[in-house]
Amino acid sequence: MIEVHHLYKSFNGQGVLEDVSLQVKKGEILVILGESGSGKSVFLKHLIGLLRPDSGSVSINSWDITRMTEQELLRIRKDMGYLFQEGALYDFMNVFENIAFPLREHTAFDAETIRMKVYNILKLIGLEGVEQKYPAELSGGMRKRVALARAIILDSKILFCDEPTSGLDPLRSRNISDLLHEVAKKLHCTTVVASHDIQNSLRIADRLALLQSGRIVAFGTPSEFKISSNMFVKEFII
Amino acid sequence: MRLLLDLGWHWVAWSGRAVCFLWDVLACVVRGRIRWAETFRQIYEQGVHSVAIIVLTSFASGVVLALQGYMAMSRFGAKEYISHLVGLSLVRELGPVFTALIFSGKAGARITAELGAMSVNDQVLATRALGVDPIEYLIVPRMIACFLVLPILTIIAEFVGITGGYGVGVLEAGIPGAFYINQTIRAIGYVDFWGGFAKVFFFAIIIGWICCYQGYSTSGGSLGVGKYTTKAVAFSYIFIILSNTLLTKIILTWWG
Repeated sequence: MIEVHHLYKSFNGQGVLEDVSLQVKKGEILVILGESGSGKSVFLKHLIGLLRPDSGSVSINSWDITRMTEQELLRIRKDMGYLFQEGALYDFMNVFENIAFPLREHTAFDAETIRMKVYNILKLIGLEGVEQKYPAELSGGMRKRVALARAIILDSKILFCDEPTSGLDPLRSRNISDLLHEVAKKLHCTTVVASHDIQNSLRIADRLALLQSGRIVAFGTPSEFKISSNMFVKEFII
Repeated sequence: MRLLLDLGWHWVAWSGRAVCFLWDVLACVVRGRIRWAETFRQIYEQGVHSVAIIVLTSFASGVVLALQGYMAMSRFGAKEYISHLVGLSLVRELGPVFTALIFSGKAGARITAELGAMSVNDQVLATRALGVDPIEYLIVPRMIACFLVLPILTIIAEFVGITGGYGVGVLEAGIPGAFYINQTIRAIGYVDFWGGFAKVFFFAIIIGWICCYQGYSTSGGSLGVGKYTTKAVAFSYIFIILSNTLLTKIILTWWG
């Protein structure tokens, strides 16, 4: 379970997160919605300890990660997956090496086991045959799928996804969202997704939170969002 | 006044972060967290790819030194001492300093641009998110490679530069080859060689530190990569030249 209490963060005096509090239940998919620049990515980076808050706390399975040192954080991040907005694949490694990287770093699997795991996950994400390609040779959608594969290869129980569908056409967005939903449910991942893609978010989310100027202005299930009387929610959904 | 204070504070903060960065790198090295496979890859990237430019420039330097020396010394009937001029100049000063400057422009710029591109594309952040220490994985191998490669390149540069001087001495000045080689060996003493060579290790630390730190702290997209790479090379040049002055004074005072 992930618990966030009264999180504040500012950059150069500019408030980005203002008193954000929420809980993510074990195994659920929570989508953080919001306009560009509303603080979604900054919030997500706090959940994995890539950014430190000005005040407030983030607890993951009852561990307050805001009090941990970077070395302690490195250890617990092995149990989490993070999908970056642009994939953030290593451009000096091919697809196979990118996906195998967490396995080589954090497990004692032999080369054959690693090879099997990488091929299995490539099959799962529908990208067989691209293992020797470099990120620069892939389309945006393929890069995101490879990045997702890298994020879940260790069977992480917590998954963070930053704008998994941004910059993709509607069909690719739908495919990625479905894949994300399928993977999260199959692996029983607690998943937090930052997105401004309302249609796909309503389809895959168990619950949604709407960020506006660094504050959560609405929180609920997709059906509650659809009938919300909050003007901003209505405007956002339309 | 306010602007000066801000600038001063900015420099203090920048220096503090750079020192902490070096501390983190040294902590990794001392604890034995060195990835040798990646280090050897970096040695290849930085070393082998720099050999051609180092050979070319050092050969040209040796030739020019010998030509100028020949012109000047012929006036006094002392052309036989060209070998002394070329050998001592290269070994005591020009070899280490030229090699360090060229290396920082070639391999140092590459390090900063590479790390800078990784920083702006979130690959450094992704390394942390994957539970791997980016200092250990990305920085330590590059700095160790710098430390090992630059001395080797300096030896190559000095040898090639002396060979260039030999060519001019024999072909242009008509000095017998065996005599030239003999004079060179007699001219370069233990102190001459080590007095110059010791400086290379300081230069290697300076280049590795500045270029890795600039790359690691790059921000601002592709413009930022260009800006930080230029800064890295400019700072490396300045610090190499300044530290060379200081180190030369110290070495001359102690060793003569």
